[in-house]
Amino acid sequence: MYNKTFLSCLTASMLISPLIADESLFGFTQSAEPMPKGAVDLVQHLEHHGDKGSGTYNGLYTKTEMEYGLTDRFTVSGYLIGQSVQTSGIIVDGYIPGDHSAGFALTGYEVSGRYNYLSTAGDDFGLSNYFSYKHLNKDPHSGQDKTVDTFELILLAQKYFLDGQLIWVGNLGLETTRAQRKALSKNQWDHLNSKGFYETEAQATANGGQQYDWPVHPEMEIGLMASTGLTYRFIENWFIGAEFVYENESETQVGIERYSYYAGPSLHYASQKWWTTLAYLREFKGGGESYDAQDNSNLHLIERTKNKFFFKLGYNF
Amino acid sequence: MNNQGWLLTPALILSATPALYAKSFGIQYPTYQESQKGFFPQATQFTPADIELSESEIDRVQLMSNVRVREPKQKIWRVKTNQQDIGWFIIDRVIGKHELITYALALNASGSVRGIEVLDFKESYGEEIHEQQWRAQFIGKTLSDPFKLNQDIRNISGATLSCKNVTNGVKRLLATYAIKLK
Repeated sequence: MYNKTFLSCLTASMLISPLIADESLFGFTQSAEPMPKGAVDLVQHLEHHGDKGSGTYNGLYTKTEMEYGLTDRFTVSGYLIGQSVQTSGIIVDGYIPGDHSAGFALTGYEVSGRYNYLSTAGDDFGLSNYFSYKHLNKDPHSGQDKTVDTFELILLAQKYFLDGQLIWVGNLGLETTRAQRKALSKNQWDHLNSKGFYETEAQATANGGQQYDWPVHPEMEIGLMASTGLTYRFIENWFIGAEFVYENESETQVGIERYSYYAGPSLHYASQKWWTTLAYLREFKGGGESYDAQDNSNLHLIERTKNKFFFKLGYNF
Repeated sequence: MNNQGWLLTPALILSATPALYAKSFGIQYPTYQESQKGFFPQATQFTPADIELSESEIDRVQLMSNVRVREPKQKIWRVKTNQQDIGWFIIDRVIGKHELITYALALNASGSVRGIEVLDFKESYGEEIHEQQWRAQFIGKTLSDPFKLNQDIRNISGATLSCKNVTNGVKRLLATYAIKLK
């Protein structure tokens, strides 16, 4: 009922209004420009992650963002985060404990700030710092209950070419996460048992299956990201571009554990009051760790997917 | 927390967007004829004098102004009062953040800036660019002036690219005047 209402309202707003968003030129990479003092905008983010190289995986993530220019250099934002994760036919030891299907639910919030040091147009090279704190009560990968607290710090760079017709953006970031899973329910263990996975080594040996690891102690993770994008205004209001993203993640007491490279196109439209961005990223290389059933061992698919689609709408008040 | 009713909030906000979008943006920009009369109320004649820069002239304009020439064609009027030249009126377009900004530049017969007027501006922020206070900064300027944001031209927050490109546009037109009209 609520899903239908949400989708119908969203569809109506998309059809009736020229769609909305602070301007996001790419799906992943952020621009360095702050909002002017007193400016407010509303951004709706939709993101879909699909294809883990086995079974069926659909992760749909939403963020509703309100952004405000506190000063001409400092912009603050607040976000409501939601997700729907559906998996079937995928079991990843320690990460995805079998089939899961959940409708849309509010799963957390985020607050962020962006401070601008150099203006892209005024100083010829834009430089800003982005920092955020995010709290989630669900694992965005498996959809399982998990408390996740993340701090993120990103350096944002931007450069205009051809009077602003061609725009380059680069990001370099560090993310630290503290996460703690909740224990799996009896039903989930029954499901795993039916697939030949058991909680203890003794059970696994007795039943001729494998032990399934589901740690519930707190875990710390550090991730690095670097991304870059180039976009060109091919006609008034319309930008076409491409971006490249590198991410790695290291868990407690481990070196570079997993990494991934993504690349893909982006299309951006912006007018006086609203903007919209559509982007796609495809993982073309990854590794560090893989799971047995994935169809391409040269990709990182444990906590990533092959495909990511981004759709954003923004409205400037 | 799992109640999906929260989704109604973004859905309703997004649904209300058309109403928000429909509000009037307010500013009525002058036509180029109104702008001509505003800058030269005593004029008796505006004679079209459009030009097209050759490749070598483009190079010279770019060298002299240090600004890229996007369009070699330029819409220009020679302004007279009783057969006496009193100035020039030029329409130019520069790149804004989303769309092109159309503005008019009025030059005195000596080639100094008589004034600028914004004729079309559709950017999210920076409508102050049409206000007399900002435009007045250009009056009397010649090619020897710096034309630098935050030096001799004040920036408008949220519209830095627009301010920079209009400022550079005026400098480029002064170089065009020096090469082609002087």
